[in-house]
Amino acid sequence: MSKLKALARKVFLLDILQGLAVTLRLYFSKKSTVPYPEKVKLPAERFRGIARLYRDEKGEPLCIACKLCQHVCGTKCFDIEGERDAASKRMKPVKFDWKLERCSFCSLCVEVCPTRAIRFSREFRMAAVDKGSLLFHLPEMYLNGEDLQNFLCAGCRE
Amino acid sequence: MSPAVSDFVIPVAKIAAVILYPMVMVVVMIWLERRVVALIQGRLGPNRVGFQGILQPVADAVKLFFKEDIIPRQADKLLFNLAPILVMFSSLLAFCFVPLGEPLRIGSYTLTLWIAESPVGLLIVLGLSSISVFGVIFGGWASNSKYPLMGALRSVVQVLSYEIPTGLTVLSVVFFARSMDMVEIVRRQEAAHIWYGFMLPVSFVVFWISAVAETNRAPFDLPEAESELVAGYHTEYSGMKFAYFYMAEYTHMVLASSLVVILFFGGWLPPFPGVKFLAFLHAVPGFVWYLIKIMFFLYLYVWIRATFPRYRFDSLIKLVWKWLIPLSLINLLAVVAVRYLL
Amino acid sequence: MAFKDIELNMGPQHPSTHGVLRLKLTVDNEVVLKVEPVIGYLHRGMEKLWENLTYTQIVPLTDRLDYLAALSNNLAFALTVEKLAGIEVPKRGRYIRIVLAELQRLASHLAWAGFMANDIGAMSVLLYGFEAREDILDVFEEYIGARLTVHGIRIGGVPRDLDEALVSRIRGVLSGIPRRLKDIRALLDENRIWKQRTVGIGLISAAEALDFGLTGPALRASGVNWDLRKSIPYSSYDEMDFDVPLGSRGDVYDRYLVRMAEIEQSIRIVNQALDKLPPGEFMAKVPRVLKIAPGQVFQTIEAPKGVLGFTIKSNGTDKPERVKMKSPSFINLQSLEHMCRGNLFSDVVGILGSMDIVLGEIDK
Repeated sequence: MSKLKALARKVFLLDILQGLAVTLRLYFSKKSTVPYPEKVKLPAERFRGIARLYRDEKGEPLCIACKLCQHVCGTKCFDIEGERDAASKRMKPVKFDWKLERCSFCSLCVEVCPTRAIRFSREFRMAAVDKGSLLFHLPEMYLNGEDLQNFLCAGCRE
Repeated sequence: MSPAVSDFVIPVAKIAAVILYPMVMVVVMIWLERRVVALIQGRLGPNRVGFQGILQPVADAVKLFFKEDIIPRQADKLLFNLAPILVMFSSLLAFCFVPLGEPLRIGSYTLTLWIAESPVGLLIVLGLSSISVFGVIFGGWASNSKYPLMGALRSVVQVLSYEIPTGLTVLSVVFFARSMDMVEIVRRQEAAHIWYGFMLPVSFVVFWISAVAETNRAPFDLPEAESELVAGYHTEYSGMKFAYFYMAEYTHMVLASSLVVILFFGGWLPPFPGVKFLAFLHAVPGFVWYLIKIMFFLYLYVWIRATFPRYRFDSLIKLVWKWLIPLSLINLLAVVAVRYLL
Repeated sequence: MAFKDIELNMGPQHPSTHGVLRLKLTVDNEVVLKVEPVIGYLHRGMEKLWENLTYTQIVPLTDRLDYLAALSNNLAFALTVEKLAGIEVPKRGRYIRIVLAELQRLASHLAWAGFMANDIGAMSVLLYGFEAREDILDVFEEYIGARLTVHGIRIGGVPRDLDEALVSRIRGVLSGIPRRLKDIRALLDENRIWKQRTVGIGLISAAEALDFGLTGPALRASGVNWDLRKSIPYSSYDEMDFDVPLGSRGDVYDRYLVRMAEIEQSIRIVNQALDKLPPGEFMAKVPRVLKIAPGQVFQTIEAPKGVLGFTIKSNGTDKPERVKMKSPSFINLQSLEHMCRGNLFSDVVGILGSMDIVLGEIDK
C-alpha cells in the first residue's frame, strides 16, 4: 500500500503540490516586519544597548571612580581618574573616557559596578560617521535620546 | 478610412503596442516577483518607492542605466555586445504573432489585435524563441571567463533539450485544432466548449514544465544559480546590457505564459461559456480575460520559484530525456488513438 | 574546449561558502577530483589574545568563535575552567545551562537548515528558519540582553536566574517551533528535487568518518552512536531523557534528517529541564580574581556543530598560560574532500552546507 502511495506521489506530483500549498498558506500569513523608522521596536529591558552613566534620584552622579570597570574590561575601553569631592566627601570621576569602538558589549563592567552607575541603555542606534564621535568624555556619558544622536551624528550634520 | 491611416498609421501603432506590451509586463513582473517572493517568505518586499513599491522597477531601471558599462579586456567585443540584443530581439519578434483577442469593430474598420496571422503562426513563434539560444552562447563565450562559459553551455543544452517536449505537446493540441494558426486554435476551443487544458491535462503539465525550463526559471535555473555559478552567462555584464538580459528573461516568461494561455486555456475566452447565470462574464472584453490568465501564470512562475530547490544539471537533463520526452510521445500517441477511436 | 582537470576557485567571496572560505577545486568535466580548502581569512589571533586576558575576560570573546551558537562556546570554556579550578556548579545552575545550551542548539540548527536550503535553491526556507530562530533570540535578549554574542554562561554557573516569567516565555516559544518545523519539513523532506540533490550525495561511511575525526551530527548520520551528552555527560545531561537520532547511509539527506530530529529532541530536553528545575543557587562562589594553580586540562562538550573542546594550561596567575581550542568545524572540514570526490561540482555546495561549518570556529 505504501508503495502504491509512493507511486501516486510521484506520478501526480503530490509532493510538489504539498510544497506549493505550504507557501500559499504562508503567503497570506501576517508578516512580522516592523516598518522602521516609522515604528521602532523597543528592545527588551535588559538589552545591551550603549553603556551610559546614571545619576541617582537627587541628580548626583552614582559613579564613585572606583575603576573596577576599567580593571575588568577586556578590551581597554575605559580611562578613568577620580578625586574626592570636597563638599560631600564622596569620590567622583573627573575624567571618564569611554571608547565605544572598543566595547564588545560583554556586560562585565555593568555587572561589577558597585553603585550601578554604568548600565546599558536600550539605545541601539550607535552609528557615527567619524571615529571622534566614538570617544565619550565624562559629560557625554550622560547623554541620551536625541542629544546622543546629535553627538554621534555631529560629523555628518552638514 | 483613408489608406494612409489603415496602411501606415495603424500598423505602426500596432508595432509600438507590441513592443510596449511586453515592456509593460516586464515592469509589472519586476515588481510582482519581488513582492510575491517576499510575501511568501514572510517579509514585505519593496514598499517604499511609490504606493506599495510600484515604482521600484523604475528605480531599478534608472540605477542600471547609470551603471558603468564594463567590458572585460579580453572579451570578444562584437559578440559581447550582440548577445543581449539577440536574446531580446527573438522574443519581442515572436510577439508579433501572438493574438490578444477577437478583432474589434470600430465603425466600419475591423481592428485585429495581432500584427500578423499566419497559418503556421505557432511554428514561427516556437522557432523565433529558439534564436535566443544564440544570444546565450555569445554571452557566455564572449565573456572570456570560465563561469559564464559553463553557465552558457548548460543553458544551451537545457533549452535545446526542452524544446522537444514543447514541440510534442504542442503537436497534440495542433492535432485537435487541426491548425497551427493561434487564432484558429482559440476559436476551436470556443467551438468545442472546452479548453484544451482540461481535455489534455498531461500535455498541459508537460508543456508547463518545459516552459519553465525553457525560460531558465526555478527550479531549472542552474545556469544562473546565484549560489553556485554566481550568475552564469550574464556574470560579466553590467549596466544596461545586464538589464537587457534581465528584461529578456521576463519577456520570455510572458511569451511562454501567452503560449500556455492560448494553447491550453482558451486565450481570450471567458470561463464557463455554457452557464446561463454567469453570462455577465461575457461582457468583459476578451483581452482582459487574456491578461487575467497571463497574470495567473506569471504568479505561478514566481510561486514556484519561491518554493522549490534547484534541480542539479544532470537530473534536469535526465528528467527531460528519460521522463518528459517519452511521456509526451506516449501522450501524443494516446491522444491520436483516442481521437480516432471515438 | 574540454573541461579536463580544470582548477576552479570558489573564492573567499562566494554566496555559499559559509563565511570566508576558499575552496580550490580540481574538476574533470564537472566531476570533482580534488578539493583543497584554504582557510585563515577570518583569523583573529584569539588563542594568543587570550594569553593576556583573565579567565573572566576571555568568556565574552568565546562568543565570537562559533557565532551562530555562542552559548555553546561559553559553556565549553566555562566547564574547562571549572574543571581546572575545581569549581562545582550548583544543580540549578547546571539545569539552566542545559536549557540555554539546548535553546542555542535549536537556534543553530534552524540557521543551518535555512542556509543549506538556500544554497540548494529553496530560498523561502531560509526565511522560515530565521523567523523561528528570531523567537529564540528574543528569549536570549530578555534573559541576558544580547542576541548573538550572548555571554550568558559564566565561570561558575549562569549570571541570572530563570524566573517564572521567563520560564513561561520559553515554553511559549517552544510551542511555536514545531509548527514552523512542520512547514520546513513539508517543503523539503519528501520533495523529489530535494531528494535528488541530497540522497546518495557526499557519502562517508562510519569507518571513514571515524578515521577523519568527524564529530557531531555528521558522524551520527553515518551510523556511529557517539553523542557526548550521552557518552561522557556533562552539566547534568545524564539526568535528562532524550534520544540520539542516527542515520544509516551517511549522505547529505541523512545529515539533514539527523539535524531535524535533533531539533525535536532539543525541544524535549528543554521542556524536561524546565519541568525539573531544582531550587537553589545558580552561581557558585567564584573569587573575584580567579587565580588557578598550575595544571592542564581538556574538556569537551557536544556543541551543535560537533565536539568542541578547550585545553587550558594554567600557571598560577589569573591569566592562562595557553588556551587551545579544538573546533569541530576545523576537523570536519578535512573530510570535505573525501565526501566531494566523485560527485558533481554542483554538489559541493550542498555537501559543504550539510557539514555545517562556521568560519569563526575554523579560523579563530
